[in-house]
Amino acid sequence: MNNRKLYRVIPKQIVAGGSALLAVALLMDFHVLPSFGSRKNGSEACQRVVQSQARLSREQLARLLTVPEGDRKQKVREILKDPYCELSNLQIRAGAPAQREAYPMEFDPQTWLVVLYEGEQYAGYRINAR
Amino acid sequence: MALLLAVLLLPLGCSQPVPEPPITLKLYQSWELQPGDTIAGRRVLGGLGDISIALEGNNVYAPFRGKTQRDRGNCLIFSSPEVPAYLFRLCGLDNPRFGTVNQGDALGRGRSLQFAALRKQPNGTWAIVEPAKEILERTLTPL
Repeated sequence: MNNRKLYRVIPKQIVAGGSALLAVALLMDFHVLPSFGSRKNGSEACQRVVQSQARLSREQLARLLTVPEGDRKQKVREILKDPYCELSNLQIRAGAPAQREAYPMEFDPQTWLVVLYEGEQYAGYRINAR
Repeated sequence: MALLLAVLLLPLGCSQPVPEPPITLKLYQSWELQPGDTIAGRRVLGGLGDISIALEGNNVYAPFRGKTQRDRGNCLIFSSPEVPAYLFRLCGLDNPRFGTVNQGDALGRGRSLQFAALRKQPNGTWAIVEPAKEILERTLTPL
């Protein structure tokens, strides 16, 4: 009698436990950070991880919005701190080599902020929602 | 698991995109004639700041993963989170592709391409700047 009860209970627990594990696995799968880009030859992949713990808070983002484009790079870096990674260097405008730095959002790690500098000048940002 | 989901969602990505209204970019340079304007009954294909390239029926490609929209002159405006502060304007394509694009995707073909690189100014307008060769090469060659 007891055994039969036990058998009826266990499958439920297995199902519940399995579902929880699956949920965790799903979450982990979707929150793998370094896969900023999946294409190896693409430019979107991180070229060099600078600070693997870097996450951007809402407050930092709000402060970034107060900095006008064309301001000093230093000013932006003081707000954002070290980036998660650097993307490949680019030249978009003739004679102005550009550096790009990326930050995942603390509140949504699938969303990244990419900041572009041209020399010591802050050129702008884009938010990359995946 | 992500791959499985991507495969399941693929048909959605291939469906016809909802046509968006053309975007209006406020240019820093206020020239009288812009691509898409008409002068003496003729359409203006390019203006000061555009680089004209003999495409001769060949394709142009998305230089990065990004998004394409049309502007009021029916040119293609390419933007990407990977190149903040910049937009690229491609005029002269016969059947431009609008919507979300991956790096290397064909954006359209045509006889000649008028290409302009636009850089965002602190006052929110867009200035036409000289594009680096690297960007043009990316746009003109497949991956």
